[in-house]
Amino acid sequence: MISIGNIEMKILGISAHYHDSAAALVIDGIPVAAVQQERLSRRKNDASFPLAAIEWCLEQNGLEPDDLDAIVFYERPSLKFDRILTSALRSFPQSWRAFPKAMKNMLGEKLWVRGIISSQLGVPGRKILFAEHHLSHAAAAFLTAPCRHAAILTADGVGEWATLTVGEGVKRSDGSTKIRLLRELRFPHSLGLFYSTFTAYLGFAVNEGEYKVMGLAAYGTPNRVDDVRRVIRRTADGAFELELGYFDFHSSVESSFSQRFVDLFGPPRSPYEPIDLTSSEGRRFADIAASAQRVLEDILVDITRTLQQETGLTDLCLGGGVALNGVANMRILTESGFERLFVPPAPGDAGCALGAALFADRIHFGRPDRDVPDHPFWGPAVDPDALARLAQEDGLGAERTDDDRLIEEVADDLARGLIVGWMDGALEFGPRALGHRSILAAPHDAAMRDRLNRDIKYREEFRPFAPVVPVEHADRYFEMPSGGARLARFMSGVFPVRAEWRDRLAAVTHVDGTARVQLLDAAMEPRLYKLLEAYGRRSGMPVLLNTSFNLAGEPIVNSVAEGYSTFRRCGIDLLVAGDCRVRKRGQTQETRLEDVA
Amino acid sequence: MASLLRPLYWAVWVSPRRRARKLLQFAQVEADGSRDLVRAAELTSDAALRRRLFAHARDETRHAALFRARGLALRTTLPKDPSENSFADWIAPGERGLDDVFVEDEDDSALLAFIHLSETAAARDFALYSSVLGHDPPTRAVFNRILRDEESHMRYSLAELDRIAPGRRRILLWKARLRRIWKAYLRLAMALAGMIAAVLLTLQYFILLPPFALLAKRAARRERPGWTVIPATGHDDLDRQY
Repeated sequence: MISIGNIEMKILGISAHYHDSAAALVIDGIPVAAVQQERLSRRKNDASFPLAAIEWCLEQNGLEPDDLDAIVFYERPSLKFDRILTSALRSFPQSWRAFPKAMKNMLGEKLWVRGIISSQLGVPGRKILFAEHHLSHAAAAFLTAPCRHAAILTADGVGEWATLTVGEGVKRSDGSTKIRLLRELRFPHSLGLFYSTFTAYLGFAVNEGEYKVMGLAAYGTPNRVDDVRRVIRRTADGAFELELGYFDFHSSVESSFSQRFVDLFGPPRSPYEPIDLTSSEGRRFADIAASAQRVLEDILVDITRTLQQETGLTDLCLGGGVALNGVANMRILTESGFERLFVPPAPGDAGCALGAALFADRIHFGRPDRDVPDHPFWGPAVDPDALARLAQEDGLGAERTDDDRLIEEVADDLARGLIVGWMDGALEFGPRALGHRSILAAPHDAAMRDRLNRDIKYREEFRPFAPVVPVEHADRYFEMPSGGARLARFMSGVFPVRAEWRDRLAAVTHVDGTARVQLLDAAMEPRLYKLLEAYGRRSGMPVLLNTSFNLAGEPIVNSVAEGYSTFRRCGIDLLVAGDCRVRKRGQTQETRLEDVA
Repeated sequence: MASLLRPLYWAVWVSPRRRARKLLQFAQVEADGSRDLVRAAELTSDAALRRRLFAHARDETRHAALFRARGLALRTTLPKDPSENSFADWIAPGERGLDDVFVEDEDDSALLAFIHLSETAAARDFALYSSVLGHDPPTRAVFNRILRDEESHMRYSLAELDRIAPGRRRILLWKARLRRIWKAYLRLAMALAGMIAAVLLTLQYFILLPPFALLAKRAARRERPGWTVIPATGHDDLDRQY
């Protein structure tokens, strides 16, 4: 540890090269900016070196790269290379086709991270540091959580070697911080890759479609659990191992599952064919999804229960992509013995940029712990003037009014069944739209859900929408267990909708009677909170449907121009950016090319 | 040239399985092209051009839907074949959309020149594909419908180019042509380099790696399943890449 005392330090965290690259800036121990590259480049899951994200973080704070004290990359490239090479050797000669691709991939760029950062930013190599992948996840979860002493679990596909780690973190009263990972599971035995293999088998894109598997699981019966347990076995020490004969991800680039897997579960789904849940084939896929989901949950519950008994702690911080599985999170909360569960707004690899920077600040440089603001809003802000200008240029009327009136009128519109694109303040960091880049709508009937799926999100009908509700009213509509409010702060848990409200919350109640609810605290997002209250005065229920402001295949919108373009291209009725509103005027603004060519 | 290529394209399109796959690939390319056009619309400060680009993007989205629907319809007529491969798919490319251009890096006039050339190439290709699809009238009808749009896109992009950069049409189109050639060369060179690298790495794999593979397999057999304890020291040192 290098003790820097109280000198103000500026530390940049970077995650890149695999999926969802991002940059985060920490000044004097507090995050001041964080953004995913995809939100700026407009390429979904952009994994490229996040130069635009870095530039935005620095510009936003008036810094040049030279002003940075340290730049921390979220994993150790040489250790990762070691894993890739060793895996190729272990699966010799089956890996002969994967080997050239893996080597070209690593040797082309990913191994030379210090040089890339140094040349892109013009900073000396000595300023560039490397945090281990799962330590970055652990730091992102623990150092941003409002707790002092917690157990930590991180789980994802794979980092360097680790795929799942358990440990402990403590923020002491003298300001020092300690994160200690106690044990790990190593590649190829991975819960994340286990789930991704089922994602691929079910015809969804890996690293993108895992939440579709979770949504599909609710339609199925977990009647293939015994088969799933043949491909992932528990070990005597309470961990698990994959039966590698069923998998191909460790030796192939074409497929993640083997012929033996297909022999066990039947033919995989073609990504081109829709899932018809009324057919036997559709039900087979749903049952397999339900079974994989059940086994994943059981393993996580077992591991966390053991961790709770071992540490005796009441708080658990969860990190890694697996922490996005809200159904599993709910079971961990209710069955593991932990009283509170903390999942950061960006538990995946993007969040590692922030975790790595905070880890360097607190632990490498030994600087005192600081409370991190408990919200996800670290990205670029909206500019209402830009919306007014765009609308005027297209002959649409932009209305600007004082905030109270705007909120009352938007509540009227929502109550009339209009769909609202809602942009406010700084962009969320992480995959969830938590009230700053959201599409809002009335949550009461299934027709609204179908309209959103058909006219706006253009997505599968089995995927649910989420509700947002003021934290004070949540218990009335949802069965919130003790500690559930914390988990629902960043939409990280799935909870039952109370039976008596399911009919009136049909657009946000999934087929199994649950919802991935966001509990909104007035201090975190006061304008949306006011809107919920205003809507509640009209409908009797301060609950709105809240889904991310994007179209299928696109990242969540960032700027007003992107919000406006999304508004123009889909069935959103009203666009709000700050104090400015634009309404759609039928189809009169549409231009046919035949008319202009 | 077109008449010389006709037998080749006929051979590519005669297989219903390949036809279905290519149509689905075209759908993806059109959808990507639509996103690029939307991005261009978001970035331009010219309101009239923005409206044209949005309209063009809508057309591309519609084309994606047409290709996809026809591709899926063809698939339903075929028996399932898990060994389906993509051999020779490069012979009959779809519209390239704007996949070769970083929209953020282009000014409006350069982008319009690129769009014009891209649409011209797509119209030429689609006309050729249509001419060899006499045995599949529904697929031919899809190409003919899209072809009409491509011709409209060619006209509007040229008209906009003249409006935005009056008198510079020829030079801008030539610049765009040269860039397309340069990018085609880069694609070819990268593909060639990739093939050479793959051959060399595969040779190394079989010549150099076997003894190390034996050692690695032996080490793997000694590993116990389950948890690995993490040593208390070493992980906090951020200077190491290993």
